[in-house]
Amino acid sequence: MRWIALACALAISSCAATRFVPLPPEAETHRAKTDDGWEISLTRYRPSGAPTGLPVILCHGISANARNLDLDERHSLARWLAAHGREAWTMSVRGAGDSDGIDEEKGRHPPITFDSYWRFDLPGVIRHVREVSGAPAVDYVGHSMGGLVAYAYLSQGGQGLNAVATLGSPTRLDWGTGLETWLHSIAPKLVSPDLMIPSALGAHAAAPFQALVDDGPFQRFFYNPQSSTTASWQRLLAYGTADVAGGVALQLIGMLDGGRFQSLDCTLDFKKDMARITTPVLVVAARLDRVALAPGVKDGYRALGGPKEWLVITRANGAKGEYGHMDLLIAERAADEVWASVLRFLDGHAPR
Amino acid sequence: MTALVVALLFASAPEPTVSHRRVVASDGASLALYRYLPPGKGEGRSPVLLVGEIGFGRPLFDLHREGLARWLAARGYAVYVAELRGQGKANAGASLRAWIHLDLPAIARVIAAEQSEPIDLVAHGWGGTLALAAAGRELPVRRVVALSTPVEAEVPSALAGAFLAEGGHFSDFAASPGGAWDFELLFAMETKFPPQTLEALRALGTRDLSSGQAAEWLAWMRLGDLPLDDGTTVRSRLLDFDRPTLLFLALGDGFAGPELCAPLRDTSKAAVRLRTFSRFETGDDFSHVSLLLGAKAPSRVFPELEAFLRGEGKTP
Repeated sequence: MRWIALACALAISSCAATRFVPLPPEAETHRAKTDDGWEISLTRYRPSGAPTGLPVILCHGISANARNLDLDERHSLARWLAAHGREAWTMSVRGAGDSDGIDEEKGRHPPITFDSYWRFDLPGVIRHVREVSGAPAVDYVGHSMGGLVAYAYLSQGGQGLNAVATLGSPTRLDWGTGLETWLHSIAPKLVSPDLMIPSALGAHAAAPFQALVDDGPFQRFFYNPQSSTTASWQRLLAYGTADVAGGVALQLIGMLDGGRFQSLDCTLDFKKDMARITTPVLVVAARLDRVALAPGVKDGYRALGGPKEWLVITRANGAKGEYGHMDLLIAERAADEVWASVLRFLDGHAPR
Repeated sequence: MTALVVALLFASAPEPTVSHRRVVASDGASLALYRYLPPGKGEGRSPVLLVGEIGFGRPLFDLHREGLARWLAARGYAVYVAELRGQGKANAGASLRAWIHLDLPAIARVIAAEQSEPIDLVAHGWGGTLALAAAGRELPVRRVVALSTPVEAEVPSALAGAFLAEGGHFSDFAASPGGAWDFELLFAMETKFPPQTLEALRALGTRDLSSGQAAEWLAWMRLGDLPLDDGTTVRSRLLDFDRPTLLFLALGDGFAGPELCAPLRDTSKAAVRLRTFSRFETGDDFSHVSLLLGAKAPSRVFPELEAFLRGEGKTP
C-alpha cells in the first residue's frame, strides 16, 4: 500500500514536468497544400534581427510531430536557429501534429506511407516556404525519418533544397539485434497499412511515470541521462509524439530486408539513387544511439553522391556526454554540441 | 553426505593446461604463443587462434584467469593466444606490416605442426583486421569470428587520433590525471566493466607502441588503407576476404566504431553475419574490450561465438 501511495505521489508530482508548453507568441502557424490535396501544418519562427541565411525547414522523425523541434524555450532547435539569424519552419508530416490525417469523407484516403512524405508533403512545404519567405531555396534539417524524407526526395531529383543536415537518419536497419528480429517477424502480422498505430496514446499514458524509473532500458533506448533530463523526455512524450501510420511502419520495417531503402512498390531504389544527389549534406550520428545505429547512419552517408560531411557526437569527439537518439534534439547541451555544427555547415554552403 | 554435495557444488571447474612457447619469425623476431588445452585431454577438438588489438597482450583473453581463452578451452577447444610484435612478451616492432608477412605465418606454422584440424580465428580490433587481411593467405583459417574489426580505416575519434599522434603510449593513461577516464572512453565506454578489471587490463595487458607502429597505424587510419610489402593493401585483401564470418559490433566502441566494421558484410566476398547488442535489449551496448572482458561477455558474447565455431546457429 505504501508503495502504491509513493508511486501515485511521484506520478502526480511528475505531472508538472509533462505540462503542455505552448508555442511562443511570435510563432506563426501556416498550412501548406500538397499536390494530392492534404494540408501540412507549419510553424514559422522569424529570425531575430536581419536574416543571415536561407530559411530552414525542420522535420521530425517517426511517431513524432513538430514539437520535437520546439519542445520548450530551452530545448528548441527552431528558436535557436531563429536566434542565430535563420528563419526556421517546423513541419509535421501528414497524420502527425496539426497536419491533416486520414479522413475518408474529405477524400483523404489511407494508406499514409513514407512515399507520401517525400512525394507530396515535403514538396508542398518547400513551395509554401519559398512563396512566403521569397527565398529562392531553403535549407533543411531532418531528425531520424525526417532525414530519410530528404534523402528520398533528393534522390528522385527533388529541387529547392540548398543544403541539408540529417540527425540520426539510418538508411539501413539490419544489424543483428534481437529487436529487429522481433520487428521483422511480428510487426507485419499486427500492423495494417490502412490504420494508425496509437503510439502517441501509449506515450501520453507513460509520460507521468517516467520519473519512477531511473535510467531504465526504455529510457536508454531513446535518450541518455548524461545528456538529457527526464523532464524533457516526459514533455516529449506528452506532446511531441504522434501515432504512426501503419503504411509508414511497414515500409520502414521493410528496410530490415537486406538493408533496402526503397519505395513501397519497390520500383525506386532510394539508396542507389542517392549517388545522384549533389546537394551538400551533413550526416550526424550519435555514438550511443540505439534507434539509429551509427552504422545505419553511416550507410546513408556512404550512399550520398555530393559534397558531404560526417560527424559522430561522442565524448571522444569533445561532447560532455554521450548521446542517444532523441538527445540530438533535447539534450541540455545540444545547442553547443550538435546544432552549432549544423548551422556552421549550412552557413558554409550558403549560395553565393 | 551434505558436506560432499556442497564440496562438489563449490569445487572449482577443471583448469585447462596452459603452456607458453617462444616462436621465432623468419626475420628472427621473437613472438609469444600461449596454448590452452582442455582439461583432461591431450588435444582439443579444433584449434582456435585468438589475435587481439594492437598494443594489447594475452590479458585481453585471459585476465586473472577469466576470459575467452579459458572459456573456450573449458568447452573442448585447443586455444592459442598469439602475441605478435609489439604485444605482450613479443619483440617490439617497427611496422604493423610484419604481422601479416612474418608473424602470422610463423604462428600458423607452429599450430599446424600440432593440430590436424583447420584453424578457426577469433580476431579483435585493428589487430584483428590485420589477421583478416592475412586469412586465407599467410594464415590458413576455416571460420572467423571478428570482434570490432574495422574494415573502413579512418580515425575513429579525435581522442583516438590524439592518442596515436602522441605516440600510442598506453602508459600515459596511468600518468595523466584524466588518463583513466580517456582509457575508459576509448575502450570501455559506459559498458558493464568493473573499474578494477579495466585498470588491471590497462596495467597488465597493454604495452606502449613503438613510434613506427603508432605512426603507421595513424597513417593507415588517415589514408584509409595500409600498403603491404607484396604490392597488395589491407583494403584490397579485405575485398577478397572470403571466410565465413560472425562479426560482433559494439555500439559503445570509441576505438573501432561499428560503422567502421559493418561494411565487411557488403564489401568482402565472405558470408558475414552481424550481431549487435544494445543496452535496451541485453543490458549492455558493449565496447572495444568489454566484448572480451566485460561483465556480460561470458553470458552474451561467448556462447554465440562458440556456437558459430561449432557450426551451429544461423549460417551467415
